[in-house]
Amino acid sequence: MSAPREMPGRIVVAGAGQVGALAAIALRRALPRCEILVVGTPPDPAAFADRAPTALPFTNRLHDRLGITEERLVREAGGSHRLVVRYLGWGGEGHAGVAPYGAAVDPKLKTRFARDWGGGPRNASTGAPPGSLGEVLAAAGRFQPPAVGPDSPLAALDYALRWNPGAYRDLLVREALRLGVQHQPGAIIAVELRADGGMAAIGVGGGGPIAADLFVDCSGPQAMLLSRLPEARRLSWQGALPIRGIQFGRPGAPVLGLSDNVVLTPVGWRSELGGRDGVHLALAMVEGTDEPAARAALGAEFADLVPFEPGRAERPWVGNVVALGDAAASFEPLAWLNLDLAHRQLALLLELLPGREPDPRERAEFNRRAAMMADRARDVLGAHYAAPGAAHLATPGGPLARSPELDLALDQYHRRGRLPFFEEMPFAVQEFSALLEALGHPAGIGALSLSTDPREGEAERRRFETAAHAALNVVPPYREWLERVLGG
Amino acid sequence: MTTGDQPSPTRIVVLGGGTAGWMSAAALQKLLGPLVEVHLVESQDIGIVGVGEATLPHIRGFVERLGIDEAAFMKATHATYKLGIDFRDFGRIGESYVHPFGSFGEEVAGVGFHHYWLEMQRLGRAAPIGAYSLAVEAGLANKFRPPAEDQSLASTYGYAYQFDATLFGPFMREYGLGIGVVRTEGKVVEVRQDPETGDVTALVLEDGREISGDLFVDCSGFRSLLLGQTLGEAWEDWSPWLPCDRAAAMPCVHVTEEIEPYTRATARPAGWQWRIPLQHRIGNGYVFSSAFISEDEACAALVANVEGEPLAEPRLLRFRAGRRKRSWSHNVIGVGLSSGFLEPLESTSIYLAQMAITYLIELFPLEGRIDPRDRDEFNRLIDMEYDRVRDFLILHYHATVRDDSEFWNHVRTMEVPDTLAGKMALWRATGRVEKYADGLFYDASWIAVYLGQGVMPERHDPRTALPNPDQLARALDSLRDAIRREVEAMPGHREYLVSRAERLAEVP
Repeated sequence: MSAPREMPGRIVVAGAGQVGALAAIALRRALPRCEILVVGTPPDPAAFADRAPTALPFTNRLHDRLGITEERLVREAGGSHRLVVRYLGWGGEGHAGVAPYGAAVDPKLKTRFARDWGGGPRNASTGAPPGSLGEVLAAAGRFQPPAVGPDSPLAALDYALRWNPGAYRDLLVREALRLGVQHQPGAIIAVELRADGGMAAIGVGGGGPIAADLFVDCSGPQAMLLSRLPEARRLSWQGALPIRGIQFGRPGAPVLGLSDNVVLTPVGWRSELGGRDGVHLALAMVEGTDEPAARAALGAEFADLVPFEPGRAERPWVGNVVALGDAAASFEPLAWLNLDLAHRQLALLLELLPGREPDPRERAEFNRRAAMMADRARDVLGAHYAAPGAAHLATPGGPLARSPELDLALDQYHRRGRLPFFEEMPFAVQEFSALLEALGHPAGIGALSLSTDPREGEAERRRFETAAHAALNVVPPYREWLERVLGG
Repeated sequence: MTTGDQPSPTRIVVLGGGTAGWMSAAALQKLLGPLVEVHLVESQDIGIVGVGEATLPHIRGFVERLGIDEAAFMKATHATYKLGIDFRDFGRIGESYVHPFGSFGEEVAGVGFHHYWLEMQRLGRAAPIGAYSLAVEAGLANKFRPPAEDQSLASTYGYAYQFDATLFGPFMREYGLGIGVVRTEGKVVEVRQDPETGDVTALVLEDGREISGDLFVDCSGFRSLLLGQTLGEAWEDWSPWLPCDRAAAMPCVHVTEEIEPYTRATARPAGWQWRIPLQHRIGNGYVFSSAFISEDEACAALVANVEGEPLAEPRLLRFRAGRRKRSWSHNVIGVGLSSGFLEPLESTSIYLAQMAITYLIELFPLEGRIDPRDRDEFNRLIDMEYDRVRDFLILHYHATVRDDSEFWNHVRTMEVPDTLAGKMALWRATGRVEKYADGLFYDASWIAVYLGQGVMPERHDPRTALPNPDQLARALDSLRDAIRREVEAMPGHREYLVSRAERLAEVP
């Protein structure tokens, strides 16, 4: 007869940034009888997930689940919406592309049965939709979060949220304290290991040892807990990713837009994120970049420069220590994947939540899936650097290494316009396809498209235009909606 | 190859006029029409196996995509609806469970329903898991109605068909001929190959005619004339794990008024027996291992075990479990039995043929040239599909306490593939299912078989101890009540079929 696992008595979360704070909230909600203690290690400027002013659509669903409403993020954390990312120069000089979120799904595949049983091959090329509603709305400056419902004209639309990182973190900390999460600031100065390779306790500041059943390492790329375990190993991504440093600018004048930009530059790329608190600029640089010259290209007042080495933990869960965020995988904040990955790995931890003693098999299952999540995120970055205009960003050692999965995806897309399905991809097949198009990757045409009557595509385009026109008529200007929420 | 700007169509030769052959020919012609010329070669002297009387819900997508009317299709194949498979005596003699086209309950606070069920079962407050699945309850009550297309309880199941496989091939033939597939009657006596590349160039028929082509789809069944015999593509033998290598099939008359909307699989001393209710008869068969029982004994056992009056003598089929190392080699693509075989325990034969056709269309050679990368990708996908089904089937044999026959002693104690051993170890230790989102059989299916065959985890999720047990019990009861009400409101399976008489075949 099966019995429930014994619950952990205490979980220590190392790191009080936005990753650690949300992890603490999630664990506290999942295990309300368990003591959750956040150790506020000094923030690491290279913890890109912790300083991210935005995430991807997955985060919205995680927030919902954890009771952090979108309205609160808008009211208390400077929240705003991004419908599309504009890519400039990636397809070559003067090229511009737009990558929307969301995928049009056949209503039949939305039933609970289809979720549990699948609707046939997941990698069937569903063909690119005739247009992107997100792009139409972003261009018109109109949007309001869709009232969820299959009949809403915005039902297929997905979006990401931006926020002010400081205000967002404060909101999470308030929420964590309200839920009864404990907090102890201070640096980790000692760790006490168990004979079985796990962690027994940590020493923080001048206090006595803090023991726990489970340690969640959200301390940033130094992985202050995980890295202390003898079994911990780090895999380098230096052969696959070219960026070695990021210059951050101070937020400039606030803007209100529905799209953000990522611009290819001679030394890397520059991202421009339009927040209600100001434009967040980041300048990514390959190895050997002349920093002062690059600084001139930042286009904002310089805040700080962060050198880093991309890579991931071979196994983010070792013994009773689980690493999340930059402690598990560290890479440049391109396409704002850092916090998305942290949140998907957090959701995985919630799914496989251990008892007081983690089981080696669930640890292995977590590591298997978490590794796929990280590697597919790396592949999405790799797809950026494989864009036609980005060849100059190769490493000094030669062209960037590509995983077999990325090679397969790019080859299939270039020759056939097809993208295989991969487990734990950060994007749906349609979203990834739109991203590749925005990056200027040439799309081939598969046999199925060649044999389709072009009139069918024409009819679909007309249907899309009608729907887009209808949406423009009912959706208010974004500013109007925002003023209503903030004023109400 | 090209004349002017327009590349000439790719000449596809499909060898074999069974279910896989006509499914392939029809789908290729329908979906790639302007790019291909489809030529099917079949011989009336060669019988068809006609496997897969029972299907999976995915076949509905195939039928719909080809624009075939469901009613005409059901009428032509004497089809009934199917909500799942009733497995009897697998885990232990006297026990049964349904593997439904649906799931059990819903997750709460991020914890899967079956964890709460395990907790309530520990407290002695849960009904059998099937009571929390609408597909199971409706099936066992012999009710049927198509599912809703929303998020409600009525959308938690899907359906497939139970049909006469010997009629499905001919139905697809008629459809295929109607849309332009060219058919040639004849027996292949020689296969011509390009001396340099080894590619197949033509089939030579008994009367001397030659059918040449660019691409050959091998649907010649177990003979695997092109892929196996001509190209010598190696076979991966899975019989150590799936020792059944024979089936005796025999139809009988209906004995009950109602038609069960589910297939039954009953474990027998040297294999298992199927029972598939169609409109006017019941299909029966004993799948067995000839290492443990003789063909005569198996046929006798089948005759003794069927419930209704037999309509024919038992017909014997021989097969072996496994697959070709590569299903696409040179310019030959194996679809159906020529590329691999897995016994019909989970009704996967037609699904596997359908997947091969779908992937072939997705990776169809462009401008008449086969790119080795597309061939590799096809083989990767086919392997993934086969390997997942294989592990799931082995579980049905291995997860047992039966020790009443040599056959069951063998499968109970055999070493299983590492991939399956890992999945079972994770389940046993934590009640969790190894996750994947591609291929066939997700969490709900694994949970159904694990629990149905008595593979109980040692521990389940700690969060199940958080809610008050009374509250949990009430939630379980209210789900059960909702399912009961839903089932009560459904029409009987026969009643539903009769009310839509365009689906009914003429009584023979």
